[in-house]
Amino acid sequence: MPSSMARLLLLLPTTTYRTQAFVDAASKLGVDLVCASERPSTLEERAPDNLITVDFADPDGAVETVARFARRRPIDAVVAVDDLTTVVAAAIATRLGLRQNPVAAASAARNKHEMRRRLEAAGVAAPRFRQVALSEDPARVARLVEYPCVLKPLALSASRGVIRADDPDGFVAAFRRIAVLLARDDVGLHGEVREALLVEAFIPGREFALEGLLMAGGLQTLALFDKPDPLDGPFFEETIYVTPSRLPAETQTRIAEATLRACAALGLTEGPVHAELRVNDAGAWVIEGAARSIGGLCSRILRFGTGMTLEELILRHALGWKIDSFDREQRAAGVMMIPIPRAGRLVAVRGKDAAEAVPGVEEIAITAHLGQELVPLPEGWQYLGFIFARSDAPEEVEQALRCAHARLAFDIA
Amino acid sequence: MSDDLKTRVQELIDTTINPAVAGHGGYVELIDVQDNRVYLQMGGGCQGCGAADVTLKAGIERLIKEELPDVLEVLDTTDHAAGANPYYTPGKA
Repeated sequence: MPSSMARLLLLLPTTTYRTQAFVDAASKLGVDLVCASERPSTLEERAPDNLITVDFADPDGAVETVARFARRRPIDAVVAVDDLTTVVAAAIATRLGLRQNPVAAASAARNKHEMRRRLEAAGVAAPRFRQVALSEDPARVARLVEYPCVLKPLALSASRGVIRADDPDGFVAAFRRIAVLLARDDVGLHGEVREALLVEAFIPGREFALEGLLMAGGLQTLALFDKPDPLDGPFFEETIYVTPSRLPAETQTRIAEATLRACAALGLTEGPVHAELRVNDAGAWVIEGAARSIGGLCSRILRFGTGMTLEELILRHALGWKIDSFDREQRAAGVMMIPIPRAGRLVAVRGKDAAEAVPGVEEIAITAHLGQELVPLPEGWQYLGFIFARSDAPEEVEQALRCAHARLAFDIA
Repeated sequence: MSDDLKTRVQELIDTTINPAVAGHGGYVELIDVQDNRVYLQMGGGCQGCGAADVTLKAGIERLIKEELPDVLEVLDTTDHAAGANPYYTPGKA
């Protein structure tokens, strides 16, 4: 291996959907890749220079582990994959003097209450909010809040544990349901984020997602997604993302401006950002802002310049390498995160061939495996799979996704 | 030459790779070697495992290429969605 080859550390939770995309991007770039996961690889002993175990829940310990590694194998860039690793990545990068967000900023983006506090302080349009300890009496708190409201865990993603309440009885039920969820071992939260939840005002309006890249505090919008399915609750399962957005240009600009202001309020300056916003007559409201790129397999629909993937773009930025173009391809693209219709064991998937035959549909990836116990929102944390489509117009993409989904059948026992 | 390379890849799988992945209930099967490209299939705990790509690219491929520099690429032909008992399962971000 040439001594001049750049070495990149990827923080890859074993639960991520993104491994193949990031590893392929690293391979294409020709970097020496070091993969860190929170649980040991079977081949770690055989490949100690490329596979390491790092506790993502212990930033201090993780920093020491990586610092020891870096003393014999210097690292040129560190990239966080998924929410679980953003704070650790910032801590590691700070120790090693590499490009990343400040630790405080990454931490703020990981805690929804802290995020709300900073957005409020900066005057960014966002829901009114309050943090409620799980030790509090939900019936008492229910009499104090305005309705409709949304209850959510402080540090989960993809709408897990997010529940709308329209009255005090609904509030109490949602509170107790989230408390049970947070007590589960598989939720993977520790400390204060496991002991409280966030209550915020429900913001009516259509929802959108902005995928961007921060560079020295400036925001490059990579894609703005429409979410054409209404997200009014009681649960907020994301289904369809379509880009380019069909919003008027002026509204798209306001969304980008709101996202930039939110990033500045949080202190985020570098790397990918995935923001969720609602738009209504009062403007663009920041609902969520994450210091990581889009989740699941959704990035498959994004291509930039002459065919660069989102992951390659992210790695290039982390390495400080030139990015020739941020222009997304001309064609409209979209993805459906296939919702889990009900709980049970997945017995069979039917109609995949017919669904893939829908014009515009490029691929259907069923990521749940046969025999798997399916758990729908709000407790669920996995997808059934993804449908990917491209066409000349976003309306055609949306139609293709819906048509393909209608042809799929999932036998759940 | 391809047969010789295939034999050496198989030996590496038998003596080094499979004993390691067996710890997570997995196994790797050599499907073929064509034009110095190795085609593998992963089974057991490896099939559908969220760490399969890391294991393959950062582990298996690297090991094979270090021992057998003639190998250009290692490719995974596994149908991971058909895995019945993956060791690590992917979940939402």
